[in-house]
Amino acid sequence: MATRENEDDRIALLQGTLDLLILKTLVLGPCHGQGVARLIQRQSEEVFLVDHGSLYVALQRLEDKKWIRAKWGVSENNRKARFYSITAKGREQLVEKTGEWRRLTRAMGLILDSGNGPQSEEA
Amino acid sequence: MFRRKRSAEDFAEEIKTHLELEADELQSSGLSEDEARWRARREFGNVRAAQERFYLKGRWASLDKLLRDLRFGLRSLRHSPGFAATAIVTLALGVGANTAVFSLMNAVLLRSLPVSDPDRLMYLRTNNPPHGTGTIDSRETFSYPVYDALRQQGGAFSPLMAYVPLSGSKVAVRYGADPEEAEGDMVSGTFFSGLGVRLVRGHAFTERDETNHAAIAVISYNYWTRRFARNPDVLGTALYVNGVPITIVGVAAEGFEGVEGGGSTDFWIPLQSRAELNAWGNPLEDGKNYIANQTWWCLRLIGRLAPGKNRAQVVAQLQPVFQRAAYAGLGTPMAGEKPPVLSLADAKNFPGYSEQYGNPLRMLMAMVGLVLLIALTNVVMLLVARNGARQREFSVRQALGAGRGELLRQLLAESLILVTAGGALAWGFAEMATRLLGRWAQIESSLAPDKTVLLFTLGVLVMAALLLALAPLRVALAGGAQLALKTSAATANTDAGKSRTGRVIVALQMALCLVLLVGAGLLIRTLRNLQNTPLGMRIEGLVVFGVKPNIQSIPEGVAFYVNLMNRLRALPGVESVTVMEERLGAGWSDNSAMRVDGKLPDVANGSSGTVRSNVVGPDFFRTLGVPVLAGRDFADSDTATSPHAGIINEQFAQRFFPHQNPLGHTIGTEDGRYQMTVIGVVKDHKYRSINEEPIPMAWYMYAQIPMTGAMQVEMRVRGEPLAILPSARKALQEMNPNLPLIQPMTQRAQYDLTISGQVLFARLAGFFGFLAVVLVAAGLYGTLAYRVSMRTAEIGVRMAVGAQRGQVVWMILRGSLLLTAAGVVIGIPSAMLVGHALASSLYGVKPLDAVSYLLAVVGVALVALAASVVPAARAAGVDPMRALRME
Repeated sequence: MATRENEDDRIALLQGTLDLLILKTLVLGPCHGQGVARLIQRQSEEVFLVDHGSLYVALQRLEDKKWIRAKWGVSENNRKARFYSITAKGREQLVEKTGEWRRLTRAMGLILDSGNGPQSEEA
Repeated sequence: MFRRKRSAEDFAEEIKTHLELEADELQSSGLSEDEARWRARREFGNVRAAQERFYLKGRWASLDKLLRDLRFGLRSLRHSPGFAATAIVTLALGVGANTAVFSLMNAVLLRSLPVSDPDRLMYLRTNNPPHGTGTIDSRETFSYPVYDALRQQGGAFSPLMAYVPLSGSKVAVRYGADPEEAEGDMVSGTFFSGLGVRLVRGHAFTERDETNHAAIAVISYNYWTRRFARNPDVLGTALYVNGVPITIVGVAAEGFEGVEGGGSTDFWIPLQSRAELNAWGNPLEDGKNYIANQTWWCLRLIGRLAPGKNRAQVVAQLQPVFQRAAYAGLGTPMAGEKPPVLSLADAKNFPGYSEQYGNPLRMLMAMVGLVLLIALTNVVMLLVARNGARQREFSVRQALGAGRGELLRQLLAESLILVTAGGALAWGFAEMATRLLGRWAQIESSLAPDKTVLLFTLGVLVMAALLLALAPLRVALAGGAQLALKTSAATANTDAGKSRTGRVIVALQMALCLVLLVGAGLLIRTLRNLQNTPLGMRIEGLVVFGVKPNIQSIPEGVAFYVNLMNRLRALPGVESVTVMEERLGAGWSDNSAMRVDGKLPDVANGSSGTVRSNVVGPDFFRTLGVPVLAGRDFADSDTATSPHAGIINEQFAQRFFPHQNPLGHTIGTEDGRYQMTVIGVVKDHKYRSINEEPIPMAWYMYAQIPMTGAMQVEMRVRGEPLAILPSARKALQEMNPNLPLIQPMTQRAQYDLTISGQVLFARLAGFFGFLAVVLVAAGLYGTLAYRVSMRTAEIGVRMAVGAQRGQVVWMILRGSLLLTAAGVVIGIPSAMLVGHALASSLYGVKPLDAVSYLLAVVGVALVALAASVVPAARAAGVDPMRALRME
């Protein structure tokens, strides 16, 4: 398990959101796996904890689905790295998933802000 | 798609890069190289786990898993070879029997005529031809004037085709030096083009060939293969048909063997006009062939509906034309006579086949369906028993984390192995069985399994595989993970041992077995009755063959047969020789009304005036061994110049000469042209077939009747009847080297042919009944043995507290006898239904034949007893101490 000093403040990624984050990151331009992880962590202001093993499995899954494609290249500090870039199909998915996510968060927000007070856990 | 483009090494490489990049970054933020590398690695987490997840996600993994399941299945089946062999053989028998019978059914009932667009082909039928006509088949044959009138009606059929055999059986042909026989048809010039049958070599006929009666022939692919070894040089050579040279001009497409079921046509020639090539091989009647003789309904007609026309329209258009043409040569219909009515019948399938074999085949299909059901339940029960014994294994695996899906996959893999092996064996078994079936049924057309049969078999196998995988799953899961924690297998398994489902299945199997046994019993008793039917003659020692000399005049014909009979009588071992026009036991008869004392007799209410007649030679009844009750047999002294003589049977005497001595009365043909004096009365005997009722018969002397054509020669010989054939052939060919012996066989065999369908049916039914019994016995044995083994501990306890061996044996036997009783109670009403459905196939047995039912019940009980004895003995042999100590 990945650990850092301020681990308690971080949130494990929700199922399915990792795909969306990867696609969003790659819209900015081709990037290797480590860069993707770093970017997600930075852009979420270090809130998200990216499990690197899961990240690579997810990258492979997206590649199998042809939403992204990969090619070996050379990193800025001259290391051989596998670079991922988003495909046209991936862009479509990104738009769709983003919409879904917005609807979900809005709905969550509506319920959480409705002021009925906390319910019992099982309800 | 099992392959993924990316290798596991590539993935590992990427992770390595990640760690390096991460370390670089950490290093640049001020950590030492070692520290940075360690932190990068710690941050990543479990590298191996990631790699494994990558691997498992790959599609390779699922194939790998399947292979692993199969390997595991094979290994676990190898541990119980007895079980595996039993299951595979049972499956093979069940599936193979179904495939074989289905192949036959497919070939006979389902397969279409091998022509283009068979849906629009129609056989022409009529209800009954007018009075005063002669027919081959009162519903299916037509006169030449009818054919000629109908084909000239444009817009009804395009085209209308006639076809007619050159002989009732096979026709004498010669290719090169040796005379032989083949099946040949005369057909319309439009026959091949109208049916849409392609030719693989040469060309077909034209309408002009029909008009000119061209001496050309198209041979079937089968004949080309069988007789000419597919030699292409055969085109252009001569085939002598009844001595007439015919040039072979074409070979028909493979699989086309004529448009009638049953036989397979070897060659076709355009409609001919020569006397040697008359329809059905008949001699000319008053010098007229089938074209000139307007009242001989001998042609079969088939037509292709004209484009845009349906059946009703075509019938409506042709009906008046048909009714007018039907009276060609007859004048106007008699007063009150209803004109014949034309109708059409689908020519899509072989109609003759479906009448002859349809019902028996459907019954057989149902029987083998039941056999398959029994076989499958057997294997399921075996599997359940086996998996019951493996319940601990399953429980342990569940406890160790195997999901239901994994267990199901395991069971599926095992069932797949069993079904694949069983299926392969079944296919071989079916091929063999189909060939045997075809030979027995004397179906000459191709029975080779085609795509339909393959699909059927695969369908059955897939069903079997699913059933075999799913049925035992319940038992496998029943234990659950907690069973592994129980200490005693014996106590854990008692539930399975007493399974109610198992008992219900055994009882149902008993019921099915009873049904099959009753059906088989009824049919086998029918067979017995048929085979033991007295024929009314001394059948042993009789041999019969046909001769078809080319004869121009009546005296020449009589001289030929006198000469032939004298030559044959002189052969060593020959007791007596005679001739006849219609062969006995060939299923044919010549039926007509007869004049008695100069007038058509008034017959008592309800009885028919129809008399069956035959034209025969001297010593006819002595040769056959039919007793002459009054008067005398025909003799050499009855010649063309002596008073015309006739002989009648008892039925004739009783119906037309009640209470008087028939000798000396005159009888004659319907039209009054031939008169003869009754010189003898003979005992009734079987004439046309074994399963017929006697009807009035009369015999004419061949020398006194204007006939010149083919005759059947009947010889009574000492010793093996067929051994006389080589010398008989030599005697005949000394007279004319072109003449073969046509269809030589013993008279017994000829009669047996008339019941060959029933014989086949009964034998098959008997075989499948037997198969069912074996399967049920095996299944019952397996189930009981399993149940007893599950109850070992219980029996041990019983014996420990004082149960006697006899009591234990009785306990086991009583269980299976109760099951038998239940099976009988369910089975008898079902068997009665089956008996009812079989009624039309029975001879001399009632559908409710008590003996058959009794034997079936006894049979089922014996099976139950036999299957119970070994497990019961084993139960009694249980050592109480050991049984209790087992856990």
